Amino acid sequence: MASSASSSTGSSKKIDANGGPDTADKEEKKEDRTFECNICLDTARDAVVSMCGHLFCWPCLHQWLETRPSRQVCPVCKAAISKEKVVPLYGRGSTKQEDPREKVPPRPAGQRTEPEGGSTFPGFGFGDTGFHMSFGIGAFPFGFFTSTFNFGDARPGAAPHGTPQHLEEQYLSKLFLWLAVLFIFWLLLA
Amino acid sequence: MAGLSPSERRLQKELMSLVKEPPPGVTVDSDVIERNLLQWLINMDGASGTLYEGENFQLQFKFSNKYPFDSPEVTFVGPNIPVHPHVYSNGHICLSILTDDWSPALSVQAVCLSIVSMLSSCKEKKRPPDNAFYVKTCNKNPKKTKWWYHDDSV
Repeated sequence: MASSASSSTGSSKKIDANGGPDTADKEEKKEDRTFECNICLDTARDAVVSMCGHLFCWPCLHQWLETRPSRQVCPVCKAAISKEKVVPLYGRGSTKQEDPREKVPPRPAGQRTEPEGGSTFPGFGFGDTGFHMSFGIGAFPFGFFTSTFNFGDARPGAAPHGTPQHLEEQYLSKLFLWLAVLFIFWLLLA
Repeated sequence: MAGLSPSERRLQKELMSLVKEPPPGVTVDSDVIERNLLQWLINMDGASGTLYEGENFQLQFKFSNKYPFDSPEVTFVGPNIPVHPHVYSNGHICLSILTDDWSPALSVQAVCLSIVSMLSSCKEKKRPPDNAFYVKTCNKNPKKTKWWYHDDSV
């Protein structure tokens, strides 16, 4: 049982070594070659793919682009190609960088675009960051008498009791409360 | 394969695939080549049904250590140089993929196939018009020649 398993999965590289290549080995080899770099003919490492779909090692492709800076074409199909327009391939477990053949600028990063946002009303969102609601009377360009209720928002907490800052905050809060009361009075009378 | 330079590694792979699936009429002595991967001698038969049927040619490939970024130096050598409008009597070949149009995705196999097809599509055996002058004045290395590629028909 164990021996049959090892013979079907064990050797993907040395086909010639074990005499008659059976079909499983052959298929495996074909699969291997699909991911060969078109320049060094090894399995592509730090793989990038051109817009025309051709696979290369980034160090190999970079060296080719440096070889002919005036005429940058895909080695396989001669389509226009450039450093900015190659897409890196991130396979599982391929994050570790193996020794680059020589000094090569880092492989270009993938481009991520965020999906389009949903249709939530911006001022009244029940997001996962907390409930947020605000109301007030606004007079452009100054916002008078605007209060905001925030739950779950990260804000600096109140100063501890007894400290000068706490006293100052208490005083300011009372002052503004009285100002607000006076303002409402004035509104009612006017 | 340990201890080989990147270009030798690639040449080793090319040799294996050329031995396995050679283009029609192409043979190599892999034992000789394995001793020096940077210089290959390839035997080429004229394709049947063409003007070169029954003839044998020898092609020499020289690779620099910048291969495959740098094209190989390819010339006909030996006693029989094909008489062809793009082949000079000193063995130099006027073929764009050997200089300007070289790409690292090409291979010995692809170059052989191109040359077989170049010979096969020939309609009249003759030397290039400037053969006498070129052979007298050219550099030994055909890559040093500034080729003009003007005839796509042959």
